[in-house]
Amino acid sequence: MSSVNAQIVKESSGLPKIAVGILLAILLFGMFIVGYDQGQLFSLVEGQKAFDDLWMHEFYHDLRHAAGFPCH
Amino acid sequence: MKTVAFILITLVSGAIAGTILGLINQILVEPYIDQAIAIEVQNTVASGESVDVDELVQYRLWQKGGEIVAGTILGTSISALFGIVYIYSRDSLPGSNNKKKGLILAGIMFFVIFLIPALKYPANPPAVGDPETIEYRESLYTTMLVISGFAALGVAILYRSLGQTRRESRKIIVPTVYAVIIALAFVVLPANPDEIIISSNLLMNFRIVSAITMGIFWGILGILLGSFWDIVKPHETRATKLRTI
Repeated sequence: MSSVNAQIVKESSGLPKIAVGILLAILLFGMFIVGYDQGQLFSLVEGQKAFDDLWMHEFYHDLRHAAGFPCH
Repeated sequence: MKTVAFILITLVSGAIAGTILGLINQILVEPYIDQAIAIEVQNTVASGESVDVDELVQYRLWQKGGEIVAGTILGTSISALFGIVYIYSRDSLPGSNNKKKGLILAGIMFFVIFLIPALKYPANPPAVGDPETIEYRESLYTTMLVISGFAALGVAILYRSLGQTRRESRKIIVPTVYAVIIALAFVVLPANPDEIIISSNLLMNFRIVSAITMGIFWGILGILLGSFWDIVKPHETRATKLRTI
């Protein structure tokens, strides 16, 4: 009597919910800071100063325009 | 399913495509942004304020660097959505390999997420937007984006559900339903409230190159994710069984 290894390849299109959650979080966070932030994120640390400086808005300014996000 | 490998190839594809977008924009889009900034400077000087040219030059260099960083971040975040949609639609997409499937899905998502919202609320260069209306314009743009995205998701589900009973007629029904939803949104949603005071040439050229570079980005993203998919095969898992003979 002898034993052999047989390798089976299974295909699956199912994605764990945690992976979907991680990817959706990355989508929303990335879209927000590049396309929408008007000082909200840094205001968590800097307070009102962040709304006056608009650091992220200014740094991502050119891509906001180029990618079609509303800007000024 | 190799979940970690799937997430990694999804995010890396987006980061590379987004960085390339930021770099291409330096050549194709920046000349138009610089022209629009020059108009803003002229308006500032005409209103009696002074402009420090050296400071402005340094500031613009900083913003152009920021555009590349923003490209990497935006590419990664868009690719996160692209990866989710790809994994659930891969079996239904036409194409003999994942590069072709990825390119086809990228084309569909470029149409749904960029082109349709851009036809209602086109990209504008600096010197066009009024700072006072930015939140209102953001809400309009986001509404159009969400309507287009969820309409596409809805008709994709409809397409699958009609698969057994109306295999041929669904090819007409599904695009018609999407077109009706988008047409209604175009009619119901208000126009961009800002007055356009720059030349139509500058405006149209900017919008055209914006659409071209976004199209290039989506194309690169689709090909990259498909290529990584063919190499890594994240949908496959190997199980070893010990058989006794």
